[in-house]
Amino acid sequence: MRRGAILQLVLLALIAAAITTAVAVVIPWMPEQASKEAQRINFTFWFMTIIAIFVFSIVAAVLVYVVLHFRVKPGDLSDGPPIHGHTGLEIAWTIVPFVLVTAVAVVSAVVLSKNSNAGPNPVKITVIGQQFAWTFKYPNGQTYPILRMPEGEKVQLKIESLDVLHSFWVPQMMQKQDAVPGLPTELTITPTKLGTFPVICVELCGLGHSTMRSEAVVMSATDYNSWLQAKPAAAAGGGSGLAVFKANGCAACHTLTAAKATGTVGPDLDKLSADAAKAGQPLNDFIKTSIIDPEAYIAPGYQGGIMPATFKSSITGPALDQLVQYLASSTK
Amino acid sequence: MTDITHHDTHDSHGAGHGHGEGAPQTVWHHAWTRPGWWRVLWTTPLFFGIGCGLVTLIRWAAHWDPIWKGQPITTVALVTVPVGFLVGLGGFDFWTHYAGGLPTQAEDHDSHGAKTWKDYFRINTDHKVIGVQYVVTTIIFFLIGGFFAMLFRAELAKPGDQYFNPQTFNVLVTNHAALMIFLFIIPAFAGLGNFVIPLMIGAADMAFPKLNALSYWLLPIAGVMLIVGMCTPGGGPSAGWTCYAPLCSHQPMGQIFFNMAVQWAGASSIMTALNFLVTIITMRAPGMTFWRMPLLVWANFTTSMLVVLATPFIAGSQFFVLFDRVMHTNYFESSGGGYVIGYQHIFWFYSHPAVYIMLLPGFGIISEVVSVMSRKPIFGYRLMALSLLAILVLGFSVWAHHMFVAGMAGWLRVPIMVTTLLIAVPTGIKIFSWLATLWDGKIHMNTPMLWALGFIAMFVIGGLSGIYLGSVPIDIQANQTYYIVAHIHYVLFGGSVFTIFCGIYYWFPKMTGRMYNERLGQLHFWLTFIGFNLTFFPMHYLGLRGMPRRVADYVPQFAGMNEFISIASFGLGASTLVFLYNMIWSWARGPAAGDNPWRSMTLEWQVSSPPPIFNFDEVPQVVGGPYEYGVPGARHAIFGTETPAPVLAE
Repeated sequence: MRRGAILQLVLLALIAAAITTAVAVVIPWMPEQASKEAQRINFTFWFMTIIAIFVFSIVAAVLVYVVLHFRVKPGDLSDGPPIHGHTGLEIAWTIVPFVLVTAVAVVSAVVLSKNSNAGPNPVKITVIGQQFAWTFKYPNGQTYPILRMPEGEKVQLKIESLDVLHSFWVPQMMQKQDAVPGLPTELTITPTKLGTFPVICVELCGLGHSTMRSEAVVMSATDYNSWLQAKPAAAAGGGSGLAVFKANGCAACHTLTAAKATGTVGPDLDKLSADAAKAGQPLNDFIKTSIIDPEAYIAPGYQGGIMPATFKSSITGPALDQLVQYLASSTK
Repeated sequence: MTDITHHDTHDSHGAGHGHGEGAPQTVWHHAWTRPGWWRVLWTTPLFFGIGCGLVTLIRWAAHWDPIWKGQPITTVALVTVPVGFLVGLGGFDFWTHYAGGLPTQAEDHDSHGAKTWKDYFRINTDHKVIGVQYVVTTIIFFLIGGFFAMLFRAELAKPGDQYFNPQTFNVLVTNHAALMIFLFIIPAFAGLGNFVIPLMIGAADMAFPKLNALSYWLLPIAGVMLIVGMCTPGGGPSAGWTCYAPLCSHQPMGQIFFNMAVQWAGASSIMTALNFLVTIITMRAPGMTFWRMPLLVWANFTTSMLVVLATPFIAGSQFFVLFDRVMHTNYFESSGGGYVIGYQHIFWFYSHPAVYIMLLPGFGIISEVVSVMSRKPIFGYRLMALSLLAILVLGFSVWAHHMFVAGMAGWLRVPIMVTTLLIAVPTGIKIFSWLATLWDGKIHMNTPMLWALGFIAMFVIGGLSGIYLGSVPIDIQANQTYYIVAHIHYVLFGGSVFTIFCGIYYWFPKMTGRMYNERLGQLHFWLTFIGFNLTFFPMHYLGLRGMPRRVADYVPQFAGMNEFISIASFGLGASTLVFLYNMIWSWARGPAAGDNPWRSMTLEWQVSSPPPIFNFDEVPQVVGGPYEYGVPGARHAIFGTETPAPVLAE
């Protein structure tokens, strides 16, 4: 190969590298990192990005060079040089990628092992996924529809599902884990930033999937502890009917003006009285039956088998009565 | 080797070589009883009745209530109705007559070749006709699947619910993927392979022509089943193309159509793969050693092994979720002791190799085109073939990289990550060997070559984003988000679909005898290339920043970028119209292409365009490698009475 060709190739590769580096740096690809795990994943991401820029620049440079220099004029029917291979080159492009991916594997394995290590005394919170809401159970035994975590401490989430697969994700924490029915899973997060972050379900779980969201609130350790002690009464089970409504994700599928809910998957709860009349039942009985046995009466225009049958076991006792009262008083 | 060809295609049980007129007298008189569409009209309802009757009879005998139940009847009918259709069309005539000792229809070759357009609408045993049937059918499903994408991109242009409710949205997303994967990419390669492989290895047809015809006809069955399933009462399949348990066992009835359609498409796939394997192993022309086979044949040989070994796993996974639903088994129902993640293990044990099923034939096409259009031998031919085999072996050890956050056994993450990353090595070998083949070549920048170069560029991006995903920590952030959507489209669109277009343009002159319009071909490439990148590149960003896949609604933060993507995707969709116009117009009116417009050395270009009915008037004698461009006096094959050239390099 002529020296001029090598020089041009290197130049093209540098241009490609400059452009891809600019794309990588100028666009904020990763969200802000709000946990120690996120910082490590962000590091892995950039380590990999450097390798990607290197490989892409070489390929782009060769492609551009080939198109610029080796294009034939129309009518040129000659053949190229009959080169069948080059053992040295073939060994090189087997070994170099091998070394690069080994480096990626080592870095990733170290990061993974650090990120999955919950340490000796993590704060333990149980995450419960169900169609279409998250609830969080705290060490004091109370459940609440919002995830609260202390800053700077390792939090070990035990993740469960009551019905189908869900997946727990906080983009800024960069940790994700499926919720599997019958098989509790675990996830470690060490929050490093105060603030409120979205909790998102990222495993298709049914019609209300895109509305299955909650919030993760990171508090200072002292705030968290005082909240934990002060808040037991406000948990989902003992709160108002509105709290039960929100904690169980009813708003994902139903419209209820009083709760500012606008879901359209299931029947409009503002029209509960009319539906109860159609079903020929007293309002309160109708509401209660519809919650614990959704298949008992299917409103005209809707399909059976869509509303989860799990509320029979997840909304019980006073919470159920409060919810029924709330709905009966909110309907028009 | 040619002996087998001869035997099979000139097969004559029963009445011997009768020719055409005075057709066999027995039962073939009436249109209603002759194999064909008239017979389909009554056999299909008949078999529907048989299915319903069978279920009802069993339920009645077992005292099950109610006797008439929708789900089991639907399930059984989705087996019997297609069988009835195939019986009517004549898919089993030869075998049933043969097995029953009845006189079989005289083999007069009237099921071979196509004289009119009508011959494409019946059981045809000519691999060239079947190849065209496959390609045209798969393009129709490509258009339907693409149309679904346009619909849900319209919905996604703005946050909130615009045109579709979540159920319809999920159905569109599910069937977009299912049609593109099972009814377009996989069978489109089967179609191109069907047309080209026997020609490339110097055979008169496939090893099992009747099986070949049958495997084609399973395909429209699967496609129609998917589309009909969208319109069933209760709604279509809406659990995504991965159809994860237990969600999919609790879906409306359309899900049964999805489960069964996958079975029919899978059966078609397995039958074709067996046919390819036997054809490639036993029917190569004299002198066509494995090391003289074109890389497309190598690629399909490897792919067929993947299909035969892996496809039964997806069949199993779909049967199990179906049984959970219809027969109340508990394979994946945790309440009954089932193992939910088991579904994903079985599903991905097929569906990851399926990614290579959708890529390796494309690698083969690119090798053909890059070598011919740069007028140079493939750089490192043997390593190119061996790297295919390496991908085959490694491809079976990486399935669980789709499950890094699924909750599977924790220790499995690192070993699977290592094998996943290692696949980059044989894939890298292929990329670098193509670049080295291009180097110092005489590059002809025509439409097939543009697609090939576009493929290399796009597949490098898809491959690199794949290495990001192979790294477990990065995957934990990116999994199940739009980053995955971006990656899969760089691999399956920028990868597979670009190679399919490359192959269609490359072999169009051979298939039709006419030349496509070069300007329109290049316009199609550039519109698709630009539209593709504008549509899918921003999705990497969306995913990492927090947008999950498969959502009908999203937070307003992502509104601007989604609107941009939707507009770009409409442009991408419109680029297909250029392709369609070019193909239809050129097939009808294009200028004659000549036998070998690319001056290629491989065997399919040494015969007329389109090729004669049994491919070769004289059996070719293969004397050298397939890519000896620039080697003075080199020949790949000689015909008939030609004297072999002196010793040739390989």
